[in-house]
Amino acid sequence: METQIVLEKWPGVISTVSIGATKAEGGTRSNVVKIGGQTAMPLLFREGVIPNKPKIAFEIWDIAPLDFDEELLCAYGKAIRDPFAWAEVCVNDYKAELLCLKMQGTHPDFGNKTPQDAAKFVSTLLHKVKVPLVILGSGDDFKDNLVMPVCSEAAKGERCLIGCAVQENYKTLVASVLADGHNIIAESPIDINIAKQLNILISDMGLALERIAINPTIGALGYGLEYAYSIMERARLAALSGDKTLASPFICFVGQETWKTKEAKVSPQQGIIWETLTATSLIQSGADLLVMRHPQAARNVSKHIEALFRE
Amino acid sequence: MQKFKVTFFPDNLSVTVEQDKTILSAAISAGVYINSSCGGDGICGRCKVVVKQGRVNSQPNGIITAQERKNNVYLACLTTIHSDLDVFVPDSSRINFDKLTPEELEERLSGLYSKSEDVLPAQENFEDKFFKHSPFATKIYLELPEPTLNDSVSDLERLYRALRNFGEFPAIETGLFNIRQLGELLRDYAWKVTVTLGRRNDAVEIVLIEPGDTTGTNFGLCFDIGTTTISGQLVNLNSKKILGTKATYNQQAAFGSDVITRIVYAAKTDGLEKLHNAVSDTMNQIIKDLVSECQVDLNNVNCIVCSGNTTMIHLFLNMDPSHIRRQPYVPTANFIPVLRASEAGININPRGLLSCVPGVSSYVGGDITAGILSSRIYQKEAPCILIDIGTNGEIVLGNRDFLVACAASAGPAFEGSGVTSGMRASSGAIQKVSINKDDFAVKYSTIQDKLPKGICGSGYIDLLSEMLKVGIIDKAGKIKAEGRRIRTTDTGKEFVVCFKEDIRSQADIVINEADIENLKRSKGAIYSACAILVKHLDLEFSAVHTIFIAGGFGTYLDIEKAINIGLLPDLPHSKFIFIGNSSLAGSREVLLSNQAKTMADSLALKITYFELSVNPEYMEEYSQALFFPHTDLTKFPTVKF
Repeated sequence: METQIVLEKWPGVISTVSIGATKAEGGTRSNVVKIGGQTAMPLLFREGVIPNKPKIAFEIWDIAPLDFDEELLCAYGKAIRDPFAWAEVCVNDYKAELLCLKMQGTHPDFGNKTPQDAAKFVSTLLHKVKVPLVILGSGDDFKDNLVMPVCSEAAKGERCLIGCAVQENYKTLVASVLADGHNIIAESPIDINIAKQLNILISDMGLALERIAINPTIGALGYGLEYAYSIMERARLAALSGDKTLASPFICFVGQETWKTKEAKVSPQQGIIWETLTATSLIQSGADLLVMRHPQAARNVSKHIEALFRE
Repeated sequence: MQKFKVTFFPDNLSVTVEQDKTILSAAISAGVYINSSCGGDGICGRCKVVVKQGRVNSQPNGIITAQERKNNVYLACLTTIHSDLDVFVPDSSRINFDKLTPEELEERLSGLYSKSEDVLPAQENFEDKFFKHSPFATKIYLELPEPTLNDSVSDLERLYRALRNFGEFPAIETGLFNIRQLGELLRDYAWKVTVTLGRRNDAVEIVLIEPGDTTGTNFGLCFDIGTTTISGQLVNLNSKKILGTKATYNQQAAFGSDVITRIVYAAKTDGLEKLHNAVSDTMNQIIKDLVSECQVDLNNVNCIVCSGNTTMIHLFLNMDPSHIRRQPYVPTANFIPVLRASEAGININPRGLLSCVPGVSSYVGGDITAGILSSRIYQKEAPCILIDIGTNGEIVLGNRDFLVACAASAGPAFEGSGVTSGMRASSGAIQKVSINKDDFAVKYSTIQDKLPKGICGSGYIDLLSEMLKVGIIDKAGKIKAEGRRIRTTDTGKEFVVCFKEDIRSQADIVINEADIENLKRSKGAIYSACAILVKHLDLEFSAVHTIFIAGGFGTYLDIEKAINIGLLPDLPHSKFIFIGNSSLAGSREVLLSNQAKTMADSLALKITYFELSVNPEYMEEYSQALFFPHTDLTKFPTVKF
């Protein structure tokens, strides 16, 4: 007797966020990276359409990293001391599809670069590498509100993904993103309600829900991964059931969370495994964009994605 | 121990107290009522006073500003006395114990302001003739046959025999006092007497025996003992006519604004006694005013029925309330047997009886039983909801087949406590607000059209709804706009409702982000309690036939705005009925009818108490409700900002 496979049909669809604008679209990027767009739970190919594979963005900083593990520093060699060289290694040597630039150097405690210097850095980087960009502030609300508007303006027309908007501080960023034609990252503290509320607040300011990616805040393997996993799964179930205010793709900061753990620092191999496993687990729960640090881990995950989508 | 004289200005009231006592306790002794929402813990900052002369010692706190310190401003609760003192108590630190005016009362007790027209006054909803008239105390005039050699039963038995002609009494009892005077009384007045009968639990008691026919003068009282307001009515038990209604603020407010603070206070030395006295004093004052205005002899007031939340009843009866707040939240008693009113310190006829409407649990009290009784939701075919909004929001869902009640700790924000410019719904409180969308100019009206002193609950509902509408705040309750009325202080952003120059006041009337957060939590608690109760019974809000809104909160409520902020579910406005003080109405029914009393008893037993704190879904619902109007906007389809 043939086994009948029960298939769920979902009324909702996750919005497609396009990162990067090519010449035809008024930008200077070599390619466009699309995330989201699915109509089924992760990897359930028969239940709906999953048009875009999960993507990997390489994390780079605007200054030489301060607290990176030895293993990470080795992976990039000398290039890591020069942010532009670092970016080029990611793109040229490791074939990064997109880069995630963190403006760490603008943080008052880590260099306190001026907004003007930050904007100049973004312009130069856009000139040197042609892949689409994710641009993050330093995490200091006050400084970010000075830095991000000018960085956004410097990248005007390039359709970047810019973050992170939080419930206590989203207005300045939303206004810039609106003015300069970017997408936004909405960050919530592993809380499905706040994720939803922030999406509503952002869309109330006139930015379409289709231009938001959710950063649900994750923990690395062994550090609350399962909590993030279940929040993402719940949000995705709600979105596919028709809740438009939660129907945004997820961006997960895998690298920064993994390399904080003491397990990642035990041996060179273990850090890579830890980052790989954290990323692959999150793919199961619906991650659309993984921001990673170690090129070997990124390669592992990339292979894993290819295998998953080989059908 | 050294003693010092403390004089309060401008009252010019003095009191002698021991060293190390706080200014607050001296003020209470002197009869000067200083605000103290937190019960003297130095948290609320409502008890600021100016020490004009003398030496004090004050604990550090984050509330007094540097400027105020320079001006000798202190928190009365944290400041101890170390010499003779002259203390100035500013108006802003006083509790306004003014009696409510007749107009205020009119609004408070029956009804109701709402922009929508579907408002029924309280009385219409309570069909007067529903319960058979059989008051708590009844007078019967008797003409007894004189004893003869053939009919030589004793005087008391003769009285009982005559009474039995009026009906089947289960058991008759009376006190020694009545028996002692019986012989002489009967013979002096030609065997013509009036007996006052009271229902006392399962028996009938001869409360009083009077000479002649006094059946025309039989009066009773009903009371609603609220955490904030105490209301009382004097009723002619023969005609069922309400002779007068009065309400005043519960003087217990001086010991804290919510039930938990008061339970904590009750555990302090003499705390329970003070709380008990505060409530019985308040009630006696109301009684005194009622009888003197209605020209009724206190001795003809034969009974009193009270309803109130479980804590208030405990404090009123001087019973230890401490276990109400401790797990597993067990009160000393829910069903209070009929007592003599004098035992509770109530001044009516010395032999008069006292009954309390039975409660359900520690957090669902007799006020709710009375509310169910008077709203008649226990007779309805379709499910209805009763929401009694106070510091503890109580919600009942049910119909003639079932009744489920829960209590949600809503906090006192909608009663004007714990919010910067909050005040109770009394004279000078801003109660209606509209804001111009271009320049954010505020139009408001106050209770009795006085110059505004603060904002009451209904004012806050209007204010929030308007601020959302014109875009001053976002849906999370954060101030996002800029302008002349919006400014940033040490504690965050605030919106100025009235500038002090315009209202001849010491301070601006403002609402800040912390206030909004507070109000958001209150409305979230009430909405989510309703939602959980509805969900728990596998219903939808749309299946609810009518929502009755009771309590001082509902007094000037604008339904549309209450829905806009997500306090009430988004249903057609015709489904909402304001019933004002349903607790008072219910206790009046119990006063007037034994049937109502029996019904109240059976209702209290029938109500299923639903404990929210152990319900895992409640936190989830509550978190979702912490947004204007709600995180799930599809639950509020008519709300558009």
